[in-house]
Amino acid sequence: MSEQIDQALARKYDAGFVSEIESDTFPIGLDESVIRRISAMKEEPEWMLQWRLQAFRSWQKMKEPDWAHLGYEKVDYQSISYYSAPKSMKDKPKSLDEVDPELLRTYEKLGIPLHEQEMLAGVAVDAVFDSVSVVTTFRAKLEEAGVIFCPISEAIQKYPELVKKYIGSVVPRSDNFFAALNSAVFTDGSFVYIPKGVRCPMELSTYFRINELNTGQFERTLIVAEEGSHVSYLEGCTAPQRDENQLHAAVVELVALDNAEIKYSTVQNWYPGDENGKGGIYNFVTKRGICETNAKISWTQVETGSAITWKYPSCILRGDNSVGEFYSVALTRGRQQADTGTKMIHLGKNTKSTIISKGISAGNSSNAYRGLVKMGPKADGARNFTECDSLLIGDRCAAHTFPYIESSNPSAIVEHEATTSKVSDDQLFLCQQRGLDTEKAVSMIVNGFCKEVFKELPMEFAVEAGKLLEISLEGSVG
Amino acid sequence: MSQWLAKVIDRASTVKDSLSPVRQTALATLSEQSWPTRRTEAWRYTSLHEVAELELQQPSANANAEAPVIAGLNSIDLVFVDAQPVTDIAKLTLPAGVSINALNDADSQASRVFNQAKPSHHLFGLVNDVLAQQGLVVDVAAGAQVEQPIRIVNFVTDGVESHHRVLVNVGDNAKVTVIEHGAGNGHSMNTAYAEYVLGKESKLEHYRFAMHGENAIHMGGSHFKMGESSRLNSTIVGYGSRLTRIDTDVIHAAEHAFAKMNCIYLLAPKEHFDLHTTIEHAKPNGTSEENARGIVGDKAKAVFNGRIHIHRDAQKTLAELNNRNLLLSRGGQINTKPELEIYADDVQCAHGATVAEIAEKELYYLQTRGIPRSQALVMLNFGFVQELVNQMPNKALSEWLQPLLRERFSAMETK
Repeated sequence: MSEQIDQALARKYDAGFVSEIESDTFPIGLDESVIRRISAMKEEPEWMLQWRLQAFRSWQKMKEPDWAHLGYEKVDYQSISYYSAPKSMKDKPKSLDEVDPELLRTYEKLGIPLHEQEMLAGVAVDAVFDSVSVVTTFRAKLEEAGVIFCPISEAIQKYPELVKKYIGSVVPRSDNFFAALNSAVFTDGSFVYIPKGVRCPMELSTYFRINELNTGQFERTLIVAEEGSHVSYLEGCTAPQRDENQLHAAVVELVALDNAEIKYSTVQNWYPGDENGKGGIYNFVTKRGICETNAKISWTQVETGSAITWKYPSCILRGDNSVGEFYSVALTRGRQQADTGTKMIHLGKNTKSTIISKGISAGNSSNAYRGLVKMGPKADGARNFTECDSLLIGDRCAAHTFPYIESSNPSAIVEHEATTSKVSDDQLFLCQQRGLDTEKAVSMIVNGFCKEVFKELPMEFAVEAGKLLEISLEGSVG
Repeated sequence: MSQWLAKVIDRASTVKDSLSPVRQTALATLSEQSWPTRRTEAWRYTSLHEVAELELQQPSANANAEAPVIAGLNSIDLVFVDAQPVTDIAKLTLPAGVSINALNDADSQASRVFNQAKPSHHLFGLVNDVLAQQGLVVDVAAGAQVEQPIRIVNFVTDGVESHHRVLVNVGDNAKVTVIEHGAGNGHSMNTAYAEYVLGKESKLEHYRFAMHGENAIHMGGSHFKMGESSRLNSTIVGYGSRLTRIDTDVIHAAEHAFAKMNCIYLLAPKEHFDLHTTIEHAKPNGTSEENARGIVGDKAKAVFNGRIHIHRDAQKTLAELNNRNLLLSRGGQINTKPELEIYADDVQCAHGATVAEIAEKELYYLQTRGIPRSQALVMLNFGFVQELVNQMPNKALSEWLQPLLRERFSAMETK
């Protein structure tokens, strides 16, 4: 069996190709002039530049956090480039036909044929390549419904009032080390605005890809759902296979006003590094949503990539009766390390939250759940249910659980459960008795383990996530 | 470093006895410590602000106090007041196989057990290492079956700072019951640490009662090093005080050990109780069960941190941890964090934590059966901790504890 494990662990990273596209890349290093240049390239208004500079000044005073259960060589922030754009972007494409065919082929390799998606899936895609949005499909149809879905750089120019009102309102620019860095140098990302009472006619989707060597990707996504609106947003990520570690520090802010609902799904498959832990993406992400009265935010994530994952999608349940959900599958193998979880901050009355986290560790990897459930003094009748289960495959991996529960309200109820186990011989035996080979049996058991999370994913993503897990686990149990 | 800690280090240099060599190591570690702030993970919910500038008197030789009596217990009592020995050990009739020596008695060979079970990362444990000159070394010979419980009472009096240490060595196949009974009155500060080294197939029944009075500051810990196939049954009862912090460590240093730990805390009106427990499974085939239950009323604050750490080689471990809390009042606060850190795959681990109040439908059910609401509340709330009290193997102790807890519970403000 150990041979099979080795084989599985040596599995190639399918999205590891490099695209030969000429690009404009800033020299490495970070100071105020780089930020001024980014801002100028994006033709941003003065207030945006000032906002970035203030973020940069607070970042300079901050220390990189070290409380997570992660061991990695600290990033040298002066040795990466903070902006990289495909050269052909200079004359921005007006429609899909004008996009560099090489770029389109890259997306095809990744399994997101834009044309096809436009026709079949009815999914609007905003694809971010290194630091800029390439194209946003399906725009006209969205405009009809009054939905704004565009690169954030464009939104800053076209809808400055909206951006100014909401940017930094959920994740303040000096919230944490990585969020401050992102606020200073973010290059692109998506902006979504759903007007009052509108149910977004299709699922919105973004694909992120880091292509250039020695670049960092700092995308910033802002989704505002006005009263009574509804939107489902999907996000996927890949990167080429490189020996150096690359940095990804994103910020996602969600604003769900009264009675609104936002569903945010992620399938993250950044390059995880090779079997010795060389290379791979450092993924330091701040994702947070704020719920007003009766609003609902639901985070679903499938994390299979990245050398380092530091990610805690959170909900601030400010309005009465608001609901927060977090469904997560995190799979680590090789030398991957993940420290991920969520924060549910209950402030309003009768707020509810559900946390379902499934961690699977294989190889020499380490997988940690870290979560906080906080019941404020005014959160009368608030309710939380948390379940985090870990599955260990192989005897060199590690699984950890660090849940924090803070309650200051006698009528709030918090429940937390966690278990750790391995794929048991009994389960395998039962499947084998019924004619399944070991591999199929393991894949079936693991899929069953993750079922509660997969069922929360939109259809296309659920299929993709299932496949990702299957490939990652090939032959990894004896 | 705080003003208080600087003085501790100053005073440590005057301590000279047979333990001096091991104390030196602790002093070196202590000197490198920085004073915990709210950003220090282990002190996240407990402020040491009050301790930082504490100025209390050193114990005087003629301190006197009445040790609390437990009816029907028939124990061997060793009483300390402000860590100063009151009982004359020489006059005691000890059961066969038991020998007890003063910590500072060179013949006690305290260094056999000293810091064998207590890890070096507990700040106040290090303070105790360098300052605790008084205490006991208890030896239970191999094979001795000691039925009479050994009770060590440490009474702290108003205005005094004291440090006390207990070291217990349980021989192979031996069986013994040890009770650490903390009591006191007034505003005092004490550190009290106990270490237990359990031999092969030995059995230890352990109790720790932290009842130093509502104005006391108490920092302490009980630490166990488990021998092969040894069994531990431990109950910790915390009343809370102005500030109480208890750290416990159970180290499965050999295979097939079994550890059961129950913790009960009842807190009011402004008490602060912080319990950190760690169970380390360093060897395979170990089993541990931990249940902590607490009721918090008025403006009290409870902190629970329960950690299970399973090392790479500790296959076939079974470990379970449960923390349940009832919050009765609006001003109270409960912070709990059950942690799992697992490096072996063939293990079964689970933990759970809840914070809630009694469900309205449970109350309704009892009321429909003719039980008045106020009584139903007491039944349900108190039943919640009574279950653990009933699990105490020593009946004299549970019968003594029950009315005390009930009285305390009735006095709690229930909204």
